[in-house]
Amino acid sequence: MVAILTTAFTLACVGVFLLLYVNLRAAAGWLQDDIKIMVYLDERLASDSVAEVEQHLRADRAVASLLFISKEQALGEFKAQFPSESHLLDGLGQNPLPASFVVALNPSFRSVDAIKRWAERVRQIAGVSKVDYNQDWIDALATVIRSIELVAIGIGVILSAAAVTIIANTIRLTLFARRDEIAILRLIGATTIFIRVPYLMEGAVLGALGSTLSLVMLKFMYELFRQQMRTTGRFAGLDNLIAFFPPSVCLALVAVGMGLGVAGSFVSIRRFGEAKA
Amino acid sequence: MALLEQAPKMIQLIHVSKQYDQRLALSDVTFEIGKGEFVLLMGPSGAGKSTLLRMLIGAERPDEGQIFVHQKNVTALKSSDVPYLRRKVGTVFQDFRLLPKKSVFDNVALPLLVQGISPADIRRKVTEALRAVGVEHKRDQLPAALSTGEQQRVCIARAIVNGPVVLLADEPTGNLDPALTSEIIELFKLINARGTTVVVATHDPLVMAQVNRRVLTLSQGRLLPEQRVLG
Repeated sequence: MVAILTTAFTLACVGVFLLLYVNLRAAAGWLQDDIKIMVYLDERLASDSVAEVEQHLRADRAVASLLFISKEQALGEFKAQFPSESHLLDGLGQNPLPASFVVALNPSFRSVDAIKRWAERVRQIAGVSKVDYNQDWIDALATVIRSIELVAIGIGVILSAAAVTIIANTIRLTLFARRDEIAILRLIGATTIFIRVPYLMEGAVLGALGSTLSLVMLKFMYELFRQQMRTTGRFAGLDNLIAFFPPSVCLALVAVGMGLGVAGSFVSIRRFGEAKA
Repeated sequence: MALLEQAPKMIQLIHVSKQYDQRLALSDVTFEIGKGEFVLLMGPSGAGKSTLLRMLIGAERPDEGQIFVHQKNVTALKSSDVPYLRRKVGTVFQDFRLLPKKSVFDNVALPLLVQGISPADIRRKVTEALRAVGVEHKRDQLPAALSTGEQQRVCIARAIVNGPVVLLADEPTGNLDPALTSEIIELFKLINARGTTVVVATHDPLVMAQVNRRVLTLSQGRLLPEQRVLG
């Protein structure tokens, strides 16, 4: 029982980081979804050439949606956004703003590298003068995600090792308590597998129960956190955005716990020694 | 020796030696035991009897020499094959080595259980073994509720429940009084009469007098010239 609880607490710590990671990753995903790429066109591009560029972009499987903004629309938008500065453009006599396409990419092309590659490629298309997206922002986001990933992996590895050690010690105690029985079993012709299987199963059950309990604890903490957010009224709306693990991940975590349990008992059995008879 | 040469060999030791640190446990021991023989392995404590019995079930390996049991070269046996040798060799211990939390029935059933024998066959064979040693009526009791003589009988039942080709007993009467010793020796004779080769290691002269068969004597790890008492 103590072993299950300690394993549960250890795995719950891993779970907290995993949950944090999953949610931050999701948040990063939404932010990345919002990234629009501006494809500016040459100043004096004929309308059939514009149509060619559009066709080119539409045929691109990376492109999810496309919106054409003509020079006039760009000017209109500028004036609407910066009414006090509109006289600056009036003074120029002609509209200096280029026509452009606002492009949203398909989810599988939204990674930093994919966006970079895509922008490079589109820059080569005749009639395109410039491809613009907020590179600094995307790079910063990628760095944050990578850092969280590294921390999550590091903590996961350390705490998983702790879980293996806890289970290994529990199994070692059981093995020690049953050393006479094991010696007798060996003497009467039990195979190594016959002797090992019950202890491996015990490790698997300990690991599975520990990880299930850790998920229950996490879910409880998660609900408490959401409740807290709702009642305090801070971060309004954010409580609906944070999510718990989907069932498939929960099952995978129980399986991981089971695996750690089996690993723990395997370590103990190996240390306990092969032939005690 | 004529009888020995006729019988197929069940146990064969060829120049077997074993040393623990600086102490010589066995030195150049060579002998053969034929199928169906009843042999006493005599010698004082520390003479190497237990080491020799442990070697016969692959629990120890000699430093030199070879050991054959039931035509299997035990010295060359892979550790994964050792359990299968032990299923053919029943072992009886001085301290019985019964599992205290299991009933008499469950203790005797253990060698069958590890082989994956069906529950019906286990019931039948355990009942037969318990009947053969005369403790069938104690089948549901825990070992602690039995007398020492009964515990040794249960240990013997566990050793024979598999129908082994060889029965090894290490000081089986060490904890028993003379009357119980006689009973246990009679039981071994009965098992031997059914065709099982029996090797009993003992330092008890009373056992030698009662068994009255071939005697191998070890002294400080060496085998002394053989005495044969024909009953």
